[in-house]
Amino acid sequence: MNPVEWYFLLAALLFCIGAFGVLARRNLIIIVMSLELMLNAVNIALVAAANFIPAAAGKGTLFVLFVITIAAAEVTVGLAIIIANYRRRRSVHADRYDEMKG
Amino acid sequence: MPGGDFHPLFFAIVAAWILVAGIGVVTSRSVVRAAVSMVACFLGVAFAFALMNSALLAIIQILIYVGAISVVIIFGIMLTETQGGPTSKFFNRQAIFVAPIAVAAAILIAVVLLSSDLLDAGEKALNPGLRGTARLLFNEYVFPFELVSLVLLAAMIGAIVLARKDEDR
Repeated sequence: MNPVEWYFLLAALLFCIGAFGVLARRNLIIIVMSLELMLNAVNIALVAAANFIPAAAGKGTLFVLFVITIAAAEVTVGLAIIIANYRRRRSVHADRYDEMKG
Repeated sequence: MPGGDFHPLFFAIVAAWILVAGIGVVTSRSVVRAAVSMVACFLGVAFAFALMNSALLAIIQILIYVGAISVVIIFGIMLTETQGGPTSKFFNRQAIFVAPIAVAAAILIAVVLLSSDLLDAGEKALNPGLRGTARLLFNEYVFPFELVSLVLLAAMIGAIVLARKDEDR
């Protein structure tokens, strides 16, 4: 097995762990953390591609830079939304946010 | 060394670290414990970057994720946590369906990866290093670079507006 495949496997496992956290946890802040795990998994895959696949050399590093920047922006806005909603509802549990449920 | 050697032992250690910390994030009862696990996981990812000869990204990972994003998330915990103590229902109702789906997705990806030989390039990629990355970033990718600064500005203003108290609106 290629080294790049080992890293892809690690990225896939971490991505699935993060996806499980997003779908299964109730606490919104832990959902945000799990989202970060998924983004980190993607970063691992991108760096592995940049390091082991000739066609992606160099570009992978840049992509990871942009992903990290956007992730920082996303965390900031996401937590601001959570805090704004927490003020109105006194809860950070995802199943309390059910006003649009039909 | 271009491309970097693959050290199975170091890779195994780092991979185990990342996965254990990741599982810690999604399964721990207390939010603070999950946050500490998350910091450990980010550190492990920085080690993985360093193993792949990306020292620049390892440093950036520690600066941004371990330094900044963790602090923001811990601030979020401090501003919201009032329940006090671990709650019994920390998974929602669909967790029992989600767990097998996540495991099945992981197995599916692993099987597809192991059975494909698309990646058998044989040759190693040449890591352009710090200088090459900077050249690429400020020549070919200078427009996305400027655009991302606008996104950061918008996020900053948006976060301030969203998290402001409602009274003075």
